[in-house]
Amino acid sequence: MTTRAVSIRVRPRRGDPALSAVALAALGLYVLFIVVPVLMSAWKSLTNENPLLARADFVGLSNYREMAHDSALTASLGFTLLLAGAVTVVANAAGIGFAMLLNRTSLSFRMMRTVAFLPQVLSGVIVGYVWRYILARDGILNHVLVSLGVIDRPVTWLGSPHLAVLSVGIVAAWVLTGFTTVVHLAALQSIPVELYQAAMVDGAGRWQRFRRITFPMLAPGTTISVTISLITMLKLYDIIAVLTSGGPADSTQSTALYIIQLAFTDDRYGYASAVSMLLLVVSVVIALSVTALLRRREVDL
Amino acid sequence: MRRKRPTVVCLAAALALTGCSAASTGSGKGGSSLTYLTFETPSLTAKFWDTSIANAEKKVPDVTVKKIVAPSTDRDAYAKQLQASGQFPDLLQSITPSTFATAGLLRPYDQKWVNANFLLPLGNAYQGKVYIPPTNSQIIPEVFYDKKLFAKAHIAAPPKTWSQFMAVCAKLKAAGVTPVELGGGDPFAASMPLVGILSADVLGKDPNWLKERYAGKVHFTDANVKAAATKYRTMVKKGYFEDGALGVKYADSITNFTSGKAAMYMMGSWFLGSVPKDHADDYGAFLTPTEDGSLVVPFSVGGSMAISAKTSDPAKATAFAEAWSLDPANYKALIEGDGAFPMLKGKTLDDYGVHVTKVFKDSYSYVTQPNTKVSAFGWATNDDSMPSGLNNAFYSASQALFSSDDVDGQLAKLDAAWDSATK
Repeated sequence: MTTRAVSIRVRPRRGDPALSAVALAALGLYVLFIVVPVLMSAWKSLTNENPLLARADFVGLSNYREMAHDSALTASLGFTLLLAGAVTVVANAAGIGFAMLLNRTSLSFRMMRTVAFLPQVLSGVIVGYVWRYILARDGILNHVLVSLGVIDRPVTWLGSPHLAVLSVGIVAAWVLTGFTTVVHLAALQSIPVELYQAAMVDGAGRWQRFRRITFPMLAPGTTISVTISLITMLKLYDIIAVLTSGGPADSTQSTALYIIQLAFTDDRYGYASAVSMLLLVVSVVIALSVTALLRRREVDL
Repeated sequence: MRRKRPTVVCLAAALALTGCSAASTGSGKGGSSLTYLTFETPSLTAKFWDTSIANAEKKVPDVTVKKIVAPSTDRDAYAKQLQASGQFPDLLQSITPSTFATAGLLRPYDQKWVNANFLLPLGNAYQGKVYIPPTNSQIIPEVFYDKKLFAKAHIAAPPKTWSQFMAVCAKLKAAGVTPVELGGGDPFAASMPLVGILSADVLGKDPNWLKERYAGKVHFTDANVKAAATKYRTMVKKGYFEDGALGVKYADSITNFTSGKAAMYMMGSWFLGSVPKDHADDYGAFLTPTEDGSLVVPFSVGGSMAISAKTSDPAKATAFAEAWSLDPANYKALIEGDGAFPMLKGKTLDDYGVHVTKVFKDSYSYVTQPNTKVSAFGWATNDDSMPSGLNNAFYSASQALFSSDDVDGQLAKLDAAWDSATK
């Protein structure tokens, strides 16, 4: 008996050759397109490589030392972290709200779910262009606000440093909400109805049901949604590039934009690689610690 | 062993892919095949390039030139990409010579040929050598003005001194006219007033300022630069630019000015190509006024194509580039569409068969007359060009000064950016 039971359990591990071939192919692609470039970039970050020059010299940690005094880098990191934090909170709160609104099964609600996911499907470049027309000084938003009498004169949504930061945040949150809605919807649908029925029998109100059942039971979905939101925002490039190009006066320059500028405008591949390494470390630390924190919350359930 | 195969296949496929991207500049049987990096604009169309290439090919036997078109007008960026991927073209139109010459990628022209054919042979020379024939020039910026709006505010003549300029702005504002249009949404356009003021005040007094900055003898935080930057800040604070100018895109700033929404527009002389032909006489131009009214022309000599140091056939590449650069037909589109000032020796505007506006002719006279010409700040391609990356810092400072009083802080940032770029 024992032998048979063991042999049954072991069988899938030995695996069928097709499956291991797929796994190996995946691993190979991962190594080729993730591990190798990261290692190459790590090596470049120790050199003064310039795309126009034939040779690059090893400069040790000098690029990393330079980062400590780079005020443009500090500003871009500050903006990126602010954006990541604020947009993640807003997009996930909105995502939970939309998910609860759309958590019905009738056809119209299923259609609305598709609509809610739309911003996430669109390319960031297209989103950027559409919003640039909406937020332009003579754009749709100002037209509407002026004709409604809300404002007297057009607001330069993209033309003053503070408002541009806000505008980028709103657009990014709009895009991300599509994703967080879908993740939270899936999580909502996995909550057993019996829990709500029992709570109602116990006389729990709407708010209590949300606080005691819905919100804690959403935890696994929230963990995924928050982590992916953070990672997406930390590397945000396309929307900003189209919407503001990092301006005005570099106020919306994300670290990703700064890296591109260092590498392809300033010809400093070495230093740009060092900044990329920093962004990688920052992203990894934030993603891991946030995941660990949220996982602990899941365990508490 | 069998399990490893997919990985090996993947690697092999990837290697094969990277191997495909080699340059295709080899010479064919009998003749040479050369690659030529160009870029397209509304006035420099695909047809313009095809015709001009065909005409030059006729003058050089046994050469075939293959056109490469940069995906945007930023041909420097594309040339760098091509270089990084081992596909540096044989010929490169209107790139910034200093960027590529420092890396030893360009081949200088024969100085005798340059001296024989151009008005300012060393106009865009980099460290004493000419990498791009100085075929045309620009004034960056001129102050264009709308004569009708000046008349509306009872302004009789364009200003010569800075105090007259400020008085003109005040009068226009009092008359309900936006004094100066600014396309601040595009960083380069946002910097135009500052380019004008720094060129006039700083370079006008000390034409070697940029070379001295390289040597560390002068700084952006010096009193004269601060005074100049403060002038721009004052214009902003007094409301002489339109509201929310940082939200106006460059393209919109052109239409705003030509449709009479503002009285003046500080822009490179390429704006001459956008002056409305049907009422061109309504527009005039003057130069950024100086303290004492002396005339300073912020000048930049551009040019045609650079030759790669690595080209497979230097003789043919040079012959083609020289033929192209001396063909008057190629100048017509540049003059009419881009407002470029031709710099061929011994030719007048009539020799190019062009129809130009009065404001073009007036502007061109600044080029041909003897006067104080300085390198347009941040636009020069000669020894006065700023280090790589500094232009962005400069644009950013121009935008920042639109909303911040911290002139000292912005200038200190420029010094820091300069020091790290030249390290």
